[in-house]
Amino acid sequence: MRSPLGRVRGLGSAKEGVESWWLERVTAVALVPLTLWFAAWFISLSHSDYTTFIAWLKAPLAALLMVLLLIALFVHLALGLQQVIEDYVHSGAKIPALIAARFACLSLGIAGILATLRIVFRN
Amino acid sequence: MIIRSSEQLPRTTLLKRFPLPRNFGVSRESRIECGRTWPAPAGATRVKTFEIYRYDPDSGSHPRLESFEVDLDDCGPMVLDVLIWIKNKIDSTLTFRRSCREGVCGSCAMNIDGTNWLACTRFVSQTRERPTIYPLNNMRIIKDLVPDLTHAFAQYSLVEPWLKTKTPEPEKERLQSIAERRKLDGSWECILCFCCTSGCPSHWWNADRFLGPAVLLQAWRWLADSRDEASGARLDDLEDPFRLYRCHTILNCTRTCPKGLNPGKAIVEIKKMMIERRS
Amino acid sequence: MPQRSARPLSPHLQIYRPQLTSVLSFAHRVTGISLGIFAVALVAYLLAAAAGPQPYALAQALARSWLGHVVLLGGIFCYFLHLCGGIRHLFWDTGRGLELRAIYASGWTVVIASTVLTVSTWVVSSMVAR
Repeated sequence: MRSPLGRVRGLGSAKEGVESWWLERVTAVALVPLTLWFAAWFISLSHSDYTTFIAWLKAPLAALLMVLLLIALFVHLALGLQQVIEDYVHSGAKIPALIAARFACLSLGIAGILATLRIVFRN
Repeated sequence: MIIRSSEQLPRTTLLKRFPLPRNFGVSRESRIECGRTWPAPAGATRVKTFEIYRYDPDSGSHPRLESFEVDLDDCGPMVLDVLIWIKNKIDSTLTFRRSCREGVCGSCAMNIDGTNWLACTRFVSQTRERPTIYPLNNMRIIKDLVPDLTHAFAQYSLVEPWLKTKTPEPEKERLQSIAERRKLDGSWECILCFCCTSGCPSHWWNADRFLGPAVLLQAWRWLADSRDEASGARLDDLEDPFRLYRCHTILNCTRTCPKGLNPGKAIVEIKKMMIERRS
Repeated sequence: MPQRSARPLSPHLQIYRPQLTSVLSFAHRVTGISLGIFAVALVAYLLAAAAGPQPYALAQALARSWLGHVVLLGGIFCYFLHLCGGIRHLFWDTGRGLELRAIYASGWTVVIASTVLTVSTWVVSSMVAR
């Protein structure tokens, strides 16, 4: 039985949102060259054997770019998934879904970085 | 096929609507059923059949899609003329909003052939073989083609669309240069028909919290006004993941505006202001 | 007077005409989510490489199978569509290209460019394989 203005005003403005918007754009700009590098690198290496792949990834530039790619990719993915969940999920499942998505991106990103570091530093 | 202005209709249609079941994901009271066909009166020459959404709150039945055979030689050239002809000659219970009949009041906004436009400025000759007329999308329907715009106008009042100043009133006008006044062109002409807001998919999913293109265009109109002194407070009120940032630049709004305005661009300018004030 | 039930909601997705604007935006979202799944596959690939030659060989065999090729082709198309669409979005965020004519021209450019880039990448990668 709330008035229309009361319903629309709701709980007020959150006074935040520009930070996520900006971070999504910054990671997007970073991902343009990083993914192009990755696509070219992956295609050139897709038919090589294990030792060649490891040697290529051990190169400092390749290792750095791979770690940067994983960071930018999973931050961008986490922000994008947050937008999608906020758009479509309105029931009580929204908060758990948001937390689960963020955890998944964090874990996968760190797993990828750890795998890269393991390849780089193993003798 | 490049569309140059919003009144340009596409030459070919690949898909009239998304390939979903007719009543997909629709709650029980909103299901649309088949309705009756109203034949044209005897002696009708050029006949075109219109499918029109009907809902009668007093009957207790569901909304229906009824077919009306219209004698085009007997009525005016616009879709609004067809609706008035049907109301006069066939079924006087057909209910719709209308006022100026020249595209300046925004009353007759409705979904014609899948896109939102004003009925008084859409020629019948531009419609499909079997035109469909629905009310504005995602709105509570009072009767037939009349949507309840209470919520939309409440969202409009939320952005406080009036001049807010601390500087006391000058003796004459508050001065504004020609260049400063030109910045408002493209936003003051909005007739609040809500074609854009009801055509925005993001507003479909979040109508309660996302303000929508019409309201955000007016928010931009006041942010861009050089005489207004409350830009900071206005931006604070808009900076919300739902009020402003549900906009994903889908741009259905710019495509559908019957006055040729660009709400999408205004929203991008608001987002630029958000970045500008923190860098 | 029968009990007034809730007012019906007018149809939206069910009857709105698909336009270049809404369809490309939806495609951008769908390709983004698919690329998220490919990101998981990338991490799996790296984990396989870190684990040793046998897991890596298994991962490589999966990628080289015909099903892997089909999935990779789809992934490459998703990638280029999301990349070109993303660049279009970044242009819009600067305030450029928001007139209707530019929206449609850039939209068709994104569709054509992604198709061309996908096909050329596939051709180049087949040549590299030999």
